[in-house]
Amino acid sequence: MKKIKWTLMTLAVGLSIGGAFATRLHQDCLGATQYYFNGGYVLAGRMGIDYICNTPSSNICTYYKVGSTYTPCCWGNYCTSNCKAGNPVPKKAKN
Amino acid sequence: MNKRQVVLESISALLIMLFLYASVSKFLDFQRFIGEMNNQPFPNSWTPFLVWTVPSLEIAISLALIFERTRMVGLIASLVLMTLFTIYTAVILLHFFDYVPCSCGGVIRKLSWPQHLVFNLFFVALSVLGIILQRKSSFKSIIITKNSFV
Repeated sequence: MKKIKWTLMTLAVGLSIGGAFATRLHQDCLGATQYYFNGGYVLAGRMGIDYICNTPSSNICTYYKVGSTYTPCCWGNYCTSNCKAGNPVPKKAKN
Repeated sequence: MNKRQVVLESISALLIMLFLYASVSKFLDFQRFIGEMNNQPFPNSWTPFLVWTVPSLEIAISLALIFERTRMVGLIASLVLMTLFTIYTAVILLHFFDYVPCSCGGVIRKLSWPQHLVFNLFFVALSVLGIILQRKSSFKSIIITKNSFV
């Protein structure tokens, strides 16, 4: 009985840690430098401080660079201190 | 191992997988996690506290769920944490905050906010079921222990 329990627990721990490492390879876009598109690709700054991605929106908020290609990372409306009235501003801009 | 115990072990294993996967993912991409926390609608001054507290709590709950002695504590803590996450998701969906933050990349992160709500509710239900089953099996073992003394 205990054998079943510990097999189950070992599987759960192994799968979750292994899964975290395995999916990490595909999800580190926010660790990369972020750009937003404004006619050309411009440095976005720090998320939550210099800008926020306001959703729901099907727009691409920020991109990251894979080789020489800009690949979508975050969805939403790219919003900085010059956001429209009624829209939020990044927290740094509030201070 | 009876049916109830198998279900209880399976619930614990599922919760362990959820919390351990979530916490290890956060620590593996810590800078990104900080960015995501900053993007949430609460003040940025909370970020240094939350980025350490949330994944540490998730690891602690996973450890508590592994061992029989601490399982009840783990299940209750899991219920509390998942309820808080669910309330937060509901509050976001009801537009209580200025804006709805984006969810970026990853596996769980790929879920939309409504999908997040359903996902969280499922784990809240699992925690409740786990508590009920754990209480029943604890009660049963107390009776067995008492009878063995008689």
